[in-house]
Amino acid sequence: MLRSVLQLVRRPLYWIAMLGLPLFLILMLTSLMSEGLPAKAPAAIVDKDGTSLSRNVTQNLSGMQMVDIKYSADSYTQARHMMQEGKVYGYFLIPENFEADLLSGRQPVITFYTNMAFYVPASLLFKTFKTTAVYTKAGVASTVLEAVGQTEDEIAPLLMPVNITTRGLNNPELNYAIYLCNSFVPCMLQLMIMLVTCFSLGQEIKYGTSIQLLNMADGSIIRAVFAKLLPQTLFWFVMAIFMEAWLFRYQGYPMNGSWFWITLSELMFVLACQGFALFVFCVIPNLRMSLSICSLLGILSFSIAAFSFPVESMYGAIGIFNYIVPTRYNFLIYIDQALNGIDIYYSRWWFVAYIVFMLLPLTYMWNLKRAMRRPVYAP
Amino acid sequence: MNIWNKIKLHIRELFLVYCREFKLSIHDGGIMLFFIFIPFLYPVIYSLIYNPELVRDVRLVVVDHDRTSESRSLVRELDACQEARVIGYAADLDEGRRAMDEHECYGILEIPEGFARKIGRGETAEAVMYCEMSLLLRYRGLLVAATNVTQGMGAELQQRKIDEIAPLASTVMEGDLLPIHNISMGNITGGFDSFILPAVIVLILHQCLILVSGMAGGAKVENRLLIGYDSFNSAPSVAMTMLGQTLCFMTMILLPMIFLIHYVPLIFRFPMESDIFHEFVFLTPMVIACLGLGFVVQGFVWERESIFVLWVVTSVVFLFLSGITWPRYAMAWPWNWLSDIIPATWGVEGFVRMNTNGASLSQVRQPYINLWILAGAYMLVGFFVQKYIVRPRIMASRHGVDLARVAESGE
Repeated sequence: MLRSVLQLVRRPLYWIAMLGLPLFLILMLTSLMSEGLPAKAPAAIVDKDGTSLSRNVTQNLSGMQMVDIKYSADSYTQARHMMQEGKVYGYFLIPENFEADLLSGRQPVITFYTNMAFYVPASLLFKTFKTTAVYTKAGVASTVLEAVGQTEDEIAPLLMPVNITTRGLNNPELNYAIYLCNSFVPCMLQLMIMLVTCFSLGQEIKYGTSIQLLNMADGSIIRAVFAKLLPQTLFWFVMAIFMEAWLFRYQGYPMNGSWFWITLSELMFVLACQGFALFVFCVIPNLRMSLSICSLLGILSFSIAAFSFPVESMYGAIGIFNYIVPTRYNFLIYIDQALNGIDIYYSRWWFVAYIVFMLLPLTYMWNLKRAMRRPVYAP
Repeated sequence: MNIWNKIKLHIRELFLVYCREFKLSIHDGGIMLFFIFIPFLYPVIYSLIYNPELVRDVRLVVVDHDRTSESRSLVRELDACQEARVIGYAADLDEGRRAMDEHECYGILEIPEGFARKIGRGETAEAVMYCEMSLLLRYRGLLVAATNVTQGMGAELQQRKIDEIAPLASTVMEGDLLPIHNISMGNITGGFDSFILPAVIVLILHQCLILVSGMAGGAKVENRLLIGYDSFNSAPSVAMTMLGQTLCFMTMILLPMIFLIHYVPLIFRFPMESDIFHEFVFLTPMVIACLGLGFVVQGFVWERESIFVLWVVTSVVFLFLSGITWPRYAMAWPWNWLSDIIPATWGVEGFVRMNTNGASLSQVRQPYINLWILAGAYMLVGFFVQKYIVRPRIMASRHGVDLARVAESGE
């Protein structure tokens, strides 16, 4: 055990991998999105009408919080070029004779273009553009209705006869950081835990020191692995608690459940990740291959664990793979216990999954023992 | 004559390095794994995950306190939207809440009593939709469905009412007063796969090159007995070694690159607005910059496998810094600055604009110039790292330093 602690402390690589990189990523992801939503998306307006009404629309648009009307283009083509060059993420087109057509009922068309190659700014622009267009329409409609003798009280419901208010539960301001950091940060931790676990075990085999390790553990593979990984486990525990505190206390992300369950979840998550990596290494006791597999799974976890694209929308044959990564369960427990704060009863199976990951390597431990007795390094 | 001889010598050296690197790489299982695994397998898996593109049929439970034909028609309309699917009625909010807690549904629509009465009276009829917020795409689906239904039903009711109460107005307000069109540019369906994958393709290329470079660098320091070959039987000049390696890796990445930037979008039907030739021209400086960065990274990687532990996680960092998910204009200055010096940022920026928005090479000149600057800068830094850190270490390891002991004692 002392030997494994020394190994960890002596190599700068472990310092970087266990302390430097995770801390950097936690701080980076949370601070990158600290605004919650990116305000002021650059956009352009193409006003071909140039009347007081069209200028009014432009002014209303400029006053919106999410958009920054940076350019005024003369033509559609010019605006499109600006978008292709990356100066703007969308543009709003007011056609020629807009005011005249509108007031005489010739139905002019307002068109707005959003660059969906960049999802987030485009969605925000879409929302702003649409609101502005709808307000413009409502303004004109109420003028017309007033002209034929309707009172204000009658007009308001006419403009919107049915309304469905959407309420985002527990994240009403659609904070992007809440949804992204809570899933990506643990997933990153999973990747690092898995890589370090495989790397440290693989080193023993690569340099043939695994024989010494086994001898020190009196030939018991369980004791050898335990002594090898326990110092790391303790360190990761600290890191996981720090992550939890950072996200839910210092960043103030929603924490509507009990701290106990979340803490338990984070600690079991660490063990589950180690168990999973250990299992991979037991099956393939080869440094490079196990690291490749852990990297592949670790990076794919960011997508396959369905943090952004829901499982039920994936192809069935792909979607089922979300069950094989520990971070998926961390995410599910976070949703239930922290975000929505529902009863622990609903999350019971996710905790069971953690336990399965922890027990998984026991089934294949014999293979690791064999490899440790006769260490062979394949580059 | 003297200069001519020198040039000849250098070219000969370059040729030798090139051939040797090629041989070494092809016989190195780890490097070949990177060259095959990352560019050929990874984008396919990744694309398959997101390939359904759109989130359809988000499950919804209805709590209808009104139970009139109007409220039922609202529910029907909602169910008919491609974004939402009504899975059933709940007696009250508690029951709906339970369904949500059981992960059966992700939204609850509550229609209050008097919904139909309000419509009849000409007041605004209100309903509330509660959305579970774990995934923004689900929320977005429900929001779009709700907006579409309100507008559709609203327009119909409006028309009827206007005809009723103000026949005069209908002369002006016949049909849609002011049609509003929205056009999505580039990624026209607004699909998730077509949005994220062009960026991921560039990142895959970026990371593949650096991982390969890092592993190759690590391999040279390792004990020859472990690796089974001698990587430095002659010691050509640092510059020629770098050039030779760069050319060698560029040759090897050629096929994977064609697959990545042409066939992956073709197979999965992503936007393909540019042609492969221009994209190649654009990405060439990025490849050089990546290899330059790889030479710098070699200074920190003292063992083949370290590159996994140190570099794999940076993919996440680079994806975020590239500005594809979180726009660069909304980043704080330190992050903006950091993203400036990463080749992937400009690679993603330019490639997405070309591939998805159909920008020409001259329209992405800014990222293109930045990539060339980065390529030059990294090659220069890489040269110094190679000369003063990597080369001496390789020489030391050639003289039989026991690597196991080095590793144990923390290098």
